[in-house]
Amino acid sequence: MAEEKICSEITGTVWKIEMGVGDSVEEDDVIMILESMKMEIPVLAPCAGTLKEFLVDEGSAIAEDQVIAIVDT
Amino acid sequence: MSRHEELADDLETRRKRVLEMGGQKKLAARKAAGQLNARERIDHLFDPESFAETGMLATSHIPAMREKSPADGKVCGYGRIEGRPAAMVSCDITTLGASSSLTNVRKMGHLRRTAIRNGMPMIFLNETSGARIPDTMGAQGTGALGQDPEQFIRGREIPYVSACLGPSYGTGTWYTMLSDFVVMRKGACLAVSSPRVTSLAIGEEVQLEELGGWKLHTEKTGLVDYAVDSDEEALDLIKRFLSYLPSHAEELPPAVEPPDESQYDGSAITDIVPAERQKVYDVRKLIAAIADPDSVFELKPRFGRVATTALTRMGGKVVGVVATNPMFKGGALDPDGCDKITSFLVLCDSFHIPIVMLTDTPGFLIGVEGERRKAPGKIMNFMSALQMCSVPKLSIVTRKSYGQAYLNMGGSRNSDEMAAWTTADVGFMDPNIGVNVIYGVTAESDPQKFEELKAEISRETSAYDLAAIYSAQSVLDPRETRQWLLSMLDVHSRGRDRGFSRRALATWPTTF
Repeated sequence: MAEEKICSEITGTVWKIEMGVGDSVEEDDVIMILESMKMEIPVLAPCAGTLKEFLVDEGSAIAEDQVIAIVDT
Repeated sequence: MSRHEELADDLETRRKRVLEMGGQKKLAARKAAGQLNARERIDHLFDPESFAETGMLATSHIPAMREKSPADGKVCGYGRIEGRPAAMVSCDITTLGASSSLTNVRKMGHLRRTAIRNGMPMIFLNETSGARIPDTMGAQGTGALGQDPEQFIRGREIPYVSACLGPSYGTGTWYTMLSDFVVMRKGACLAVSSPRVTSLAIGEEVQLEELGGWKLHTEKTGLVDYAVDSDEEALDLIKRFLSYLPSHAEELPPAVEPPDESQYDGSAITDIVPAERQKVYDVRKLIAAIADPDSVFELKPRFGRVATTALTRMGGKVVGVVATNPMFKGGALDPDGCDKITSFLVLCDSFHIPIVMLTDTPGFLIGVEGERRKAPGKIMNFMSALQMCSVPKLSIVTRKSYGQAYLNMGGSRNSDEMAAWTTADVGFMDPNIGVNVIYGVTAESDPQKFEELKAEISRETSAYDLAAIYSAQSVLDPRETRQWLLSMLDVHSRGRDRGFSRRALATWPTTF
C-alpha cells in the first residue's frame, strides 16, 4: 500500500475538516475546506484511498505546499 | 521474367524488409506490452488507405548500418485525418532506438518544410533515444548538424502537435517544446537527456518519473496537456485537438452544423454558480452549460488550475474560453495560471479562434512564493498578449473581479464587448481585504466598525455601476449568457478581415 501526501495549494487557515481518519475517499472528494483570499477553498483527494492521518486541525494556519493529510492508496 | 519484373521484385523485397522494422522479436515484445509499433500508430491516426510514405527506403548513411536501419528509424509521410491532410513522423524505436541521424533528420526537415509550404498540421509521434552515435561523434559529426537555419523557428503557419509515447530525448523533446498540443503516455519520459545519461553527468541516481514523468509535466511544468494510459488514447486526443484547428493559418477553424437553439436551456447556470461570492464552484461545469453540447475540450487540465482554458464550439464555430476557476485557490491567478492563459491566447490568435473570458477572481494571488516565481512578469506577459491578440474578445464578469486582474481578464476596453452578470462585484480589491488595507480594521478587531466600513467601500461596485459608465456594455441575467455570446460573436466577426486575426502572437514561445 502506497502513501499519497495531500498538500495545501494555498496559504490560509483550515476552516472545516469534512472527513475523518479511516474514511475511504474517491478522487476529487472534498476532504477539508480552507479559508484564504476570503474564499472557502476545498481540498480535494488526489486519488482514491483511505484517509490515514490529518496533520492539521480546524483553525490551523497553513502554508502553500504544506502536507496537511495522508491517504493510503 | 523480364528485366522490369526482376526490378519490381527487388523493389518489393526491399519494401517488405522495411515493413519488418527492427525485427519480429522486438515487435512481439511491444505487442505483449500493449504498445503499438510505429506503423500501427500511423494506421490508428490516419484515415484508411490515406498514408503516403516519404523516405521509406532511406537508411543510415554508414554502409555497414544500412541493413539495420529500415526507414532509418523514423517513419515519415502524409495522410488524412477526418478527410483533412496532415504530415507525420512516427519514431520506430525498434530500429536503432529511433535515434536521430544524419539521414532521418534530413527526412524530418523535408517533411516539416513540405507541411508548412502546403498548409497541413505537423504531427510528431515521439519515442526516441536521442542523437545517434556515431553520427554525431566528433567535430565532423556535430558540425554536420544544424544545416537548416530555420529548423526551430515557430511561426505557427501550421499547427504542431506531439505525442510522447516512450522515451523522448534530443530532437523529439525539442519539437515537443515547439508544439501547440502535447500528449504523453504514462510511463514515458520527456527530458533533455535520459535518466542514465543524467545520472552519469551529475553523479546521482535519477528516476524516470522524477526527471520527466507525466505527473511532472502535466502538473508542475505544464509542458504536457494530457497524460493517458495507451497509445490509442493519445492518438485520439491528437485527432480531437486538430478537429478545432484550421489546417493552416490562411484558413479559418472548421465549423460544424450549429445545434438547435430552441432546445437550449440555460437554467442550469444558476444552479452551478452560487450567488454568495465566498462559495466555490467548478467553472468547467459553467463552460459546459454555455457551449454547444459535448464541445468542450480543455487544455492543460492538471496545470495552473486556477485558470481553465478550453476549445469549445458556440453555434458550431470554434471559440476559445479562458476562465478563472474558483475551485482552485479560489480562482486567484497565480504564475502558472498566467502562463497557461498566455499560451492559450497565443494559440487562439495564431489560428483565428475568438476568445470568451469568464471572470470570477479575487485577484492575483499575492505572496512571497509568487514573487519568487516572477508573478509581476507573468502578469504583464499575459496582459501584453491579451492586448496584442486581435481575434474577437468577449468578456463576462460573473461574480468578483478586482484590480489588475479585472483588466487582464478583458475588463473595460481590453475586450471588444463586455458584460456583467447581475451578481458582478468590481472594485480595486475584495472589500473584506480592502477595509483592513485602507483603515486597518479587521472583522476580529472591531466587528461593527468593520461592517460599516465594508458597506462604505462596497458601494458602487455592482454590475449597474459598471454599466452606467459604459465600461460594461450589458448587464445579464446569468441564464442569458449563451444568447448574448452568440449574438456578440456574430457582431464582432471581423467582417472586413474575413475573420482573420493579425497573428501578432504567432511567433511567441509558450514554454516560457
